[in-house]
Amino acid sequence: MTASILDGIVLGLQFGLLATGLTLMYGLGGILNLAYGQMAVVSAIVTVSIMEAGLPVVPAAAIGIAVGALLGFVLDQTVFRPLYSLRGEARVLLSLLLSLGVALMIDGFLNWLFPLKGLSLFIGGGAIDVFGEPMRRGSLLASGITIVAMGGLVAFFRFTTLGRAVRSVIEDEEGARLVGIDPRKMLRLILLLSGGIAGLVALTRSMVAPVDVTAGFGITVFALIVTVVGGLGSITGALAAGIILGVINAIAASAIGTFMSLVILLVAAAVTILVRPAGLLGVKE
Amino acid sequence: MAILDLEGIEKRFGGLKVIDGVTLEVDDGEILAVVGPNGAGKSTILKLIVGLEQPTRGSIRFQGRDITHLPTHRVRHLGIAMVEQTPRPFPTMTVLENVAVGALFGSPDTRTGEEAALAAGEEMLAFVGLADRRDDHIDNLNLHEQRFLELARALAGRPRLLLLDEVMAGLNESELRSSIDLVRTIRDELGITVIWIEHVMGAVVELAERVVVLDFGRIIADGTPHTVMRDPHVIEAYLGAAEGIVDA
Repeated sequence: MTASILDGIVLGLQFGLLATGLTLMYGLGGILNLAYGQMAVVSAIVTVSIMEAGLPVVPAAAIGIAVGALLGFVLDQTVFRPLYSLRGEARVLLSLLLSLGVALMIDGFLNWLFPLKGLSLFIGGGAIDVFGEPMRRGSLLASGITIVAMGGLVAFFRFTTLGRAVRSVIEDEEGARLVGIDPRKMLRLILLLSGGIAGLVALTRSMVAPVDVTAGFGITVFALIVTVVGGLGSITGALAAGIILGVINAIAASAIGTFMSLVILLVAAAVTILVRPAGLLGVKE
Repeated sequence: MAILDLEGIEKRFGGLKVIDGVTLEVDDGEILAVVGPNGAGKSTILKLIVGLEQPTRGSIRFQGRDITHLPTHRVRHLGIAMVEQTPRPFPTMTVLENVAVGALFGSPDTRTGEEAALAAGEEMLAFVGLADRRDDHIDNLNLHEQRFLELARALAGRPRLLLLDEVMAGLNESELRSSIDLVRTIRDELGITVIWIEHVMGAVVELAERVVVLDFGRIIADGTPHTVMRDPHVIEAYLGAAEGIVDA
């Protein structure tokens, strides 16, 4: 049981971080990005390709993350561009369709070009005991990196005026425009940031289990569930929901079986929506 | 010299003509009150100026520059700030953080750093008399204090023109007093031009140098407070009949 919970926390931290990117894109720009998982996969594939070319893991990972961020920026400038003249529901729905198209295209290209590629960052060394359970070093390092990234993200949004400006657009877009904030600029920043987050999560994930070219939709689905449970537009909600769902997922997987764990997560998400329609810490409409 | 020029402004919502050909020059440094019955189009005019709404026809010039179709944040960068009737501070931020956002983003100089933004925020809080509330949460401020916070946030970007939308509604006598004094200080000490929509006629007569009366989206009178209040068209617009003198 302890082992499942610990595994769940490792997974949950990562998906909590992953979901912040999705939740920010939605909260800020009304964009549901279904290509999010593919952004993570692209980072992973770039990283493994560079490593195969002979570069050490750290610079390769840095480039991988940068490519993820760049992909976010490119999406903002190209595919998502027509969205910004739309409002409300039309924007959300069209973003769903456009990003789904992007996801399918990226999936197709990756399968065609690198059908067998996958990133697996193996962290050597023996297991370390945590609460009496042996934990792989890869899991611990992945969790450590994730926690640092989360701390950085929370600090950015809480303690810097730029971070507060992003929050102000989520809370009251018209009010933000009145104090001189350009919501488009903030959204561009968030797409860049979320691309980087997706890349980082792909890398830490690959320290625990391989991330291959087909992983994209699975990542998106999990991130989407976490985002909905945490509350669309809430960073702390996404982080909390990630950890809670990660633990539920791990317990369900070990008690019932992996085939049921996603269903159990969907049930947990549905119950959350029934009890709290805006999610755990959602921004009220 | 005119700081703001409205030329033949018209605004329709569907078939409804809310603003019907408004032409108005606002002089640099004046305090101009815009009054009129409910639904006369007063707030719409302010929204058109800051780009929250787009005029159907006509043009808006600020300091000689055409701003008719600029987005709201650009208008703010050029030097026009607005405070609305219902305060809308960012709820998850402290008083100082709210004003710092205005300082960092409210001016064209985007290189203002974090430190400078906070310093400018403190300065403006001191100016409106909220310095000791800097770390308070928004919920701890009453309506009057929230309006002053919004004024501080608006002023933090050093605008040249300040638009106020019924910022004196719902205040008690002493709060009204301090609001009138503050608006006058904003003009006198910071040299900021003020366009001010108001229902509190006593305040209008005391503070405004010029009053424009709007009715059904048209300007029906323009002049000093006392001449305007005695204008038969104005009395008719307010009372529906020219039977009494509105003398505040």
